[in-house]
Amino acid sequence: MSYQILGNDYFRKDGIGKVTGREVYASDVTLPRMWHARVLRSPHAHARIKSIDARAAQELGAVVLTYADVPHLKYNERIVSIPPHLYRDRTVLADKARHVGEAVAAVAAPTEQLAEKALRALQVEWEILPHYTDPLAAQRADAEPIHDSYILNGQEIPVENNVAVTRVVQVGDIEEGFAQADHIFEREFVTSRIYHAQMETKSCVCDPAPDGSITVYPTTQSIHNVRQLLGEIFSIPLHKVNVKRVAIGGTFGSSIQMNSIIPICVALALKAKRPVKLVSTREEDMYDHVRYQTKLKLKIGVTREGKITAGHMQALADIGGHNIQAYALLSVLAGWTASLYNYPNLKFEGKAVYTNKTPSCALQGFGNPQATFAAESLMDEIATELDWDPIEFKLKNYVGLGGTFWGQGPSVQSIVRSDGVPQLLHDGAQKIGWRARPKPGTQTGRYRHGIGMARGFHTSGAGAPKPGEVIDYSGAFIKINEDGSVDIVHAMMDHGGGTLEAIAKIVAEELGVPIERVGISPADTLTTVYDVVTHATRGVYAGGGAAHKAAVKVKQQIFDYASRILGLQADSLMIEPDYELMQGVIYCPNFPERRITLGALAKQLQVNSWGTLAAVESLRQVNCPPAYVTYFIDLTVDTETGQVTTNRAAIGSDCGTVVNPAMAIGQLEGGLSKGMGYALVEDNQWDAQTGQLTSKGFWIDGKTPAISEAPFVENIITHFANTYEPSGPFGAKGIGEAATNPCAAAYANALYNALDIRFTELPITAEKILSALAAQDERASRASDYLENKVVAVMQAAE
Amino acid sequence: MLPTNTHILYPEFDYHAPTTLYEVTELLAQYGDSARVMAGGTDLLVQMKMERRQPSQVISLMHVNALQGISQNGSLDIGATTSIQEIHRRLPQLYALAEACNGFSSIQIMYMATLGGNLCNASPASDSAPPLLTYDARVTLKSKTAERVLPLERFFLGPGKTAMQPDELLAQISIPAPLPHSGSAFIKISRVVADISQVCAAARLTREGNTIRDARIALGSVAPTPVRAAGAERDLIGETFSPALAEKIGKQAAQEISPISDVRATREYRQQVAAVIVRDALLRAWERAQ
Repeated sequence: MSYQILGNDYFRKDGIGKVTGREVYASDVTLPRMWHARVLRSPHAHARIKSIDARAAQELGAVVLTYADVPHLKYNERIVSIPPHLYRDRTVLADKARHVGEAVAAVAAPTEQLAEKALRALQVEWEILPHYTDPLAAQRADAEPIHDSYILNGQEIPVENNVAVTRVVQVGDIEEGFAQADHIFEREFVTSRIYHAQMETKSCVCDPAPDGSITVYPTTQSIHNVRQLLGEIFSIPLHKVNVKRVAIGGTFGSSIQMNSIIPICVALALKAKRPVKLVSTREEDMYDHVRYQTKLKLKIGVTREGKITAGHMQALADIGGHNIQAYALLSVLAGWTASLYNYPNLKFEGKAVYTNKTPSCALQGFGNPQATFAAESLMDEIATELDWDPIEFKLKNYVGLGGTFWGQGPSVQSIVRSDGVPQLLHDGAQKIGWRARPKPGTQTGRYRHGIGMARGFHTSGAGAPKPGEVIDYSGAFIKINEDGSVDIVHAMMDHGGGTLEAIAKIVAEELGVPIERVGISPADTLTTVYDVVTHATRGVYAGGGAAHKAAVKVKQQIFDYASRILGLQADSLMIEPDYELMQGVIYCPNFPERRITLGALAKQLQVNSWGTLAAVESLRQVNCPPAYVTYFIDLTVDTETGQVTTNRAAIGSDCGTVVNPAMAIGQLEGGLSKGMGYALVEDNQWDAQTGQLTSKGFWIDGKTPAISEAPFVENIITHFANTYEPSGPFGAKGIGEAATNPCAAAYANALYNALDIRFTELPITAEKILSALAAQDERASRASDYLENKVVAVMQAAE
Repeated sequence: MLPTNTHILYPEFDYHAPTTLYEVTELLAQYGDSARVMAGGTDLLVQMKMERRQPSQVISLMHVNALQGISQNGSLDIGATTSIQEIHRRLPQLYALAEACNGFSSIQIMYMATLGGNLCNASPASDSAPPLLTYDARVTLKSKTAERVLPLERFFLGPGKTAMQPDELLAQISIPAPLPHSGSAFIKISRVVADISQVCAAARLTREGNTIRDARIALGSVAPTPVRAAGAERDLIGETFSPALAEKIGKQAAQEISPISDVRATREYRQQVAAVIVRDALLRAWERAQ
């Protein structure tokens, strides 16, 4: 298909503001009479607050907020799940600290300095409770409860043994399935607890008005969900809660939920009766969110012919001090597993456990990097053991065209209608030199070279024919201005990946208007229709889909009115961009002289008082097509220091029609960077004694790889599948989270290729590599001793 | 309260911006222990935000021109506030030092941080100290009334502790003119590039044909201060260089140190890798000592 606008690169609409530092983020918002806030965060991992003496802080002129001052409604910050699956376990400020860094009080003062001073003047009397950094210890019968109960669908449910939620999903009968298998493979995989490391720390400004309404400028991925939760918590009707979209400095999923600082900022502003700004420090932010840490036991049965007969996954998730979306996490762990390969019989048993650590939430891939690390590592091993090329083995067993894809757990299923996997695997293998890769165990010497492959996907949105356990729809309002330019009013957030740029292109393509004449309006919750949230790789597919639906409607209006003016049938008209006029031009191919620009049409409508060309639409996508990705990693291991160098990577993406080529490539390069950190270095460890991060929240010990450890850009080979997704806007589906999901497994498989060692625990650090090599040496020398002894014994016997 | 913060500079202090060395030493004489001089501020400001240091007087050196720049006066004299980036750019022939400056965290830090600041911070993980130790560098300490010169080795007393008196200022770092046929190298192992080292090592060799005439080995992040491996150095001098010798000396140097386990690395990893990087630094230094 050829397009006028899609697939071309343009300057980003927000580019100049960003590169010149003029873009406005939440922390840049400054209002008259504004005060600054600081939050008192617990230094203890588990402690009840006996009392807070605020007198000294108040004497300094600060407004102080404690548990007694805030609504006691229990909320769940991620209202993406439908109410029956919303586990509510937190309040605006806590009456009990459940992890180091939990917010227990807050102050506002004319300056941040004075706020800090007031914060230090607060006297807190703590009752220290036993704390747990290990989910097994937290589950012991005599363990102190982290939560006594939570609220689910209006019911108070007691928490037993600190288990937040469990979930079992079954397809077929695994006992039967394993009985049919000729080979059974089983391994336990452990994944790490990494920090999102987004550039912007979570921030918020709240401006209360005398009539009881509030205007909020938050760091968020969903302005509408923030609005609804604030309305509920503070009992303010929604027409008096306006949440404004400000630019966001990256998220990686850290702001899918309404950030816990937002209601704190609002409560302070309401109490102070003036605007309040709250900016998290980096350390506070590092104590606020991490990726779900999991232990995944995976067992797979295979026939002699290489066909999978059964799969069994047992998952344990250590969720930290609050349940943000553990139920959804267990659902997607089951879903990603079920969608990677065809298991005629599958059983998933998941358990999520509270610990006294930073609460976990989605981080680029939401359970997918974890599940894919386990599955793709084990598949590589199975293929190798059965003497298959891993590519062939995977092609034989993967879920592709016509298969059932679980986009967001068992309740969100759709049929795969576009599949670029065979092409991507073929192209990636060629580009990296797959057939020339070393044979494991054949290399000696200091530097060893390895090539590894892993594949995966992410869903594009969480839409399905049935209403699922999560909400998924978007809305858009499009209008044609009186000069023929276009305004798109859309509530969606763009995290920097170019979602809104893509939406503008989709609208420009449909309306036949130059992209330069399509604007993205500032958005707030008063003037936009609902969009659930930019997550689940749904921006282009679902958000773009809604905009496309509205554009189709506007286009029909354009043709209807133009037909009256041109005297031609509406169905005979076309519109396309004219770059000299910088206008869309409406014409009929049979009568080229009868034409009118979109601007002239819109102006005529105004002059005639006929009205505005405009439409507002909501769209629920009824599919969730897989955005497939393939990864080939070429690396070198220094066996003396354990250091790993990434030489090259070939990353293939099946995102359907490529809307923003340069930005799509950027997503893949970014996914590699994030995945490399996950594979090799990043991990937040907790000191079991103190319950603190061993890094103490310091960035220096966050160990995020920088641009200097990525391969040179010419060695990151990106390629795209030639596919068209029938349900997507102009054939497009998602890319963002897919871009990182298989990366860690590709590294583990490349390390196996280089060293003949399987690594099952992330991150695969230099130290782990050295100790695994030492163990390998020891095994080898024991084996050769044994062999030597045996030979001697045989010779002696012969004599 | 959460005991960590690198956002708000909470302690209050007086800020001085003198323009001459004399003014600096006068301020130091007046305020002594309660003052701290600041060059690039890349360490000090962070420490003040973390409240690990709480000087009531901060004396900026950034307007004291006499402390900036590199000059040749028999020895190579480097002003204390010369930036890491400038050293990297201007002294490529000092391989070990240039390599250390190249791996110095991020670009932003390279432009702001200074050589004198890196030494006065007295971190065991200082990247610039091991190369300077192998060059037999000396430091010039100035007070209002006196000036003294110390070998760098005697400058470091412990983590964050130096031989400077409260009224003294590190004014200059001097590197004696290198012996002919000398070469040096620096190798750093860290979790990620922008991190401080898990272990680092520098070596300098001077050759006479195939014989080692002079040798220095220094390591970082393996002891309370940057240290030299004196025994290993002695066993190199006078020997014929070979890869096998480098291997043996690497192991010996690793035996001379007793690192600890911390958040960045285990003791075992540090010791194992120290042997590797000392050997590699020796091999590279020898190759460069043409």
